[in-house]
Parts: sequence; C-alpha cells; structure tokens
Amino acid sequence: MSVTSTLAQALGDLDEAAVKSLVEGALSAKQDPLEIVQELQDGMEIVGKKFEADEYFLSELIFAAEIFKQANAPLGESLQKAVKETLGTIVLGTVKNDIHDFGKDIVGMVLTSNGIKVVDLGVNVEHQAFVDAIREHKPQLVGFSCLLTTVFEDMKDAVAAIEAAGVRDQVKVMIGGGPVDQSVADYVGADAYCLNAQVAVETAKKYLRGN
Amino acid sequence: MTTTQELLQQRKDRIAAAIALEKPDRVPVVPLGDAFAANMMGVKISDFCTKPEVAYPTMIDAFTQLGDLDGIQHASYNVSALSTIWLSKVKWPGRDLPDNELWQVEELELMTTDDYDVIAEKGFGEWLGGFIPRADLGEEFQLFREGWVPTLPAAMKAWEAVGIPVLSPVIFTIPYEYFCGGRSMRAFVLDLYRMPDKVEAAMQATMPFIKETARQVIRGLGVSGCWLGGWRSASEFLSPKLWERFVLPYYKELAAVVIEEGITPVFHFDSNWTRDLSYFLDFPKAKCVISTDSMTDIYKAKEVLGGHMCVMGDVSPSMLTLGTPEKVKEYSRRLVNDLGPTGFILAQGCCIPPDAKPDNVRAMIEAVHG
Repeated sequence: MSVTSTLAQALGDLDEAAVKSLVEGALSAKQDPLEIVQELQDGMEIVGKKFEADEYFLSELIFAAEIFKQANAPLGESLQKAVKETLGTIVLGTVKNDIHDFGKDIVGMVLTSNGIKVVDLGVNVEHQAFVDAIREHKPQLVGFSCLLTTVFEDMKDAVAAIEAAGVRDQVKVMIGGGPVDQSVADYVGADAYCLNAQVAVETAKKYLRGN
Repeated sequence: MTTTQELLQQRKDRIAAAIALEKPDRVPVVPLGDAFAANMMGVKISDFCTKPEVAYPTMIDAFTQLGDLDGIQHASYNVSALSTIWLSKVKWPGRDLPDNELWQVEELELMTTDDYDVIAEKGFGEWLGGFIPRADLGEEFQLFREGWVPTLPAAMKAWEAVGIPVLSPVIFTIPYEYFCGGRSMRAFVLDLYRMPDKVEAAMQATMPFIKETARQVIRGLGVSGCWLGGWRSASEFLSPKLWERFVLPYYKELAAVVIEEGITPVFHFDSNWTRDLSYFLDFPKAKCVISTDSMTDIYKAKEVLGGHMCVMGDVSPSMLTLGTPEKVKEYSRRLVNDLGPTGFILAQGCCIPPDAKPDNVRAMIEAVHG
C-alpha cells in the first residue's frame, strides 16, 4: 500500500496524528502536493461513506474536516490550486436577518474538504450580495442556511432576486438548517433541501456531476 | 357550571394521567409559544423578551384566545435564560437588534480549553463567578437571577387564575449544553476528540452545581415539572460512543434528582434523537415525558418508549408557519389517533415559531377535541 493511500485511510479512520505524520513524510519525500490533496479527499470520501452507513455522525464530519484542514495547511498554495481544479464552486451564506453561522460553517468545511470551492458570504447576507457573488464567482451552486422560520420569506426573496437578475438558470439553489424541510424548499423555490452536511455534499456532487 | 378552579384541576388530572401512562378522558394539548404570543398580540419583541411584567400577561392573553388548551409548558419568557443555559452572548432586540427582530445566539468561543481545568479544580460555581464578567455576561445573569426568576411564582399563579396549569416552568440541562455553547459547537466537538478526559473531568465537576441549583429552584418555586433540555447534545450530532460518555449519564443523574424532588422531567429534545430512544427505557417508568420537535421520529418514540414514558409533540415549526389549518388539524388528529389515548400529549415541536399563523395554532389545539 502506498504512503498516500495509507493517508486516505488514516483520515477515514480519524487518526489525526497519523495524518499529520504521513503528510509531513510525503512532503519530505517531495511527493506532489496535488497527489496528497487527492488522497486527503479520498479520505473524506471514506468519511462520507461511513456517515451514510450510520457509522459516523456530525461529530466525525467536523473532526474529519478539521484534520483535513490541518493537513492541508503545509500544502499552502497547492491546495488552493487543487480545489479550483476540482468539482466546482458554491456560494454559501446564512440569509438576511439570520446571524447563525455554525451550521453554515460546518457545511462549508465539509464541502471544502470534499473538493468543492466554497465562497462564504457570512451571515445576514443581503439578497443582492448573492446575486453579486454569482456574477463574480460564476458558481454552479448557491447554498442558503437558516435557523429561523422568520427568514423563510428572506430565502424566497433571495431566490426571487437571483431570478430577477437573470442568473437563476446558472445555479442550483440548495437550502438547509434547523426548521427547513421539503415544504420550505418548495415554498422558497429552491432546487434541493439538505437534511445535513453530508446530504449537502452528496447533493452538491450530484449537481456538479450533472446527474 | 364548571368553575375555573375545577377546570384547572380537570386539566391537571388529564396531564397527570398522560404522564402516569393511565388513560385520560382525552389526549391533553400543552403548547408553548413565546415570540409568537408577542407577535400575535402586537407587543414589541424587545419588551416581551426583557420585561417579565410584559411577557407572561402577553402569553396569557394570546393563548386564552386560541382555544381550550390543557396547560402551557412555560409560564413566562426571558431572553436572559438563553445565556445562562449556553454560556453565550445573545443578540437582544432593543439592545443589539431592532425592536421587533428575534433574539439570536452568537456563536463565539467565550470559554477556553483552560477553563475545563479551572472548573475541574475549583468547581463550576466558583469558575462561573469569574467567567461571567470575563465573557461580558453580567447584564444577562443579573436580569435572569434578579429580574426574571423571582417573577415566576406570580406568572404561574396568573396562569392558574385562568384555569391553565404550567407543565414545566423552569429549565435545567447537562454540562454538555453549557460547554458546547460556551466553547462554540465546532471547537467543543474537537475538544471531545482531543481532550476527552479533561472535558469529562469538568463535566463531573459541574454536576454538583447543576443538581444543587435544580433542588433549590424546585423547592423555592414549588414547580411540578421542568424541562431537561437537549439541543446540541442530540444523537444526530454525535457518535454513539461520544453520546454514551458525554450526554446520557448526565441526563440520568439530573433526571434522578428532579424525580427525587417529586417533579416531572420533560425531556425537551430538539433535533434528531431517534437512534438513542431505547436508552430512555432505563429512566423511571411513568415519571418522565419525552418531547420531540419533529426531527425525531415520534412514531418510533411511541413504539420504543410508549409503555414506559409519555411522548409529547410534534407539529413542526414549518407546518405551523407555512401550512394551513386543515393540514395542521389533519396531522394533529393523526397523532392523537395513532399515539393516544394513553401516554401522549399533543404539542408543537420545540416552540411555536414567532411567525406561526394563529389559525394554525388554533387548529392544533382544536384537534384534541375531535
């Protein structure tokens, strides 16, 4: 088994010390950083599969994404380049009038570590800011997070703003958060409702792969 | 003609029968709504959430217009309580937000990993005394302790004066919720992996404070029930190994104390707890209520715990906001028929959302009447 496939498995097993040591070893051996990033993303695939099998839960997704982030730190620019060259881009934000960020941040971490570039607009994001970010970053996906039923209208208005700007057909809109369910997705005009962070990853990958 | 006192007693008996897993004359309905009541009555959220003299009369005015309910879960509301449960800053309407915006918890790392050591060494109470000024939570704790808690007896009395008993007017919770709020969710989860023994030592050192506070509050206020709240400690957020170590034992310990004090613990559980429902078979039979918020499978809860613990819930926030009275009534009737007549209390999931339609809430309350 190569060093890097061992690396993927170490991340899949959430062995933080082993991941750190293997990445340091690979860099010392002048291994291509892009290969290392790929192995780490393979490790996140293992994590995702274990989540789907109810072997892992949100706690493991958070820890895996953290190990991924720490492991990538010494790779620097190579990571940025690698991420740009992978699956695609999502513009992500907590909608206007809602300042909760932990759900959004966790989804952002998990998407990033699965090879999707995340443009994080933060919390309490104005509708127009989503439109501006779509024009600037040309994402395939837009993600709205919310924890309050009182911002369902804001999500609906944000979708309407994206439509009015003529860019709705360029993106798939995914939504998630505590009070969100399929009826909310239907109400606001989103393309998908994501029950949790891993569903967000799978939904994003499905759209980005065009199936 | 039935007097208000007789009506109050009938309702208390109905709820008590449901908790004891006996057959009540019908399924009781015991809702809860805070900012919803303020919106319905046209009261500024900023006044409602900071002024006890505004909060409970507003809730009583709203709910007495919504039909024949059997009880209310909380007697009053105060935004300061959130900071005391989650050791977090909360943006208040009127202080940090416009008057009619909803309060919102800020996800900040107010606690450090060193705090675990101090708590383990000195105990939670002494540590908290230093933490409150450091985290700039003085206003919150002062309002809670001096401004709000002392008003609860009057609030409970005011509800009973209109014939409505208060099921669970106070909230207790486990160290997990305090620390997860104080550290922020991501940082705390990482602590559970990177320094589990340190976190556990701090949790164990926190329990004496929580248990003693619970005993004092129960005896001082004369309540008959309480929430044992669970939000971020939900099964869906944690692996079984972590949940069994950092969550379950603490609910067991806390529930034992409140049951020993002679009151009913209502497990107010947000998010999805379906995976771990069977663990609640270890809690005393016919003494507890498990209240789920529509994320937990309430049918599974009834299947697993039905002969052991009263189940309460779970009309979803989105249905109360976006649904129609017909849909709400249909769903509520289904719950009453499928999960009643014994060991079931109809309620919303979590709390009636601020922008719920009053007609939807009315439909939920009507559903127990046929």
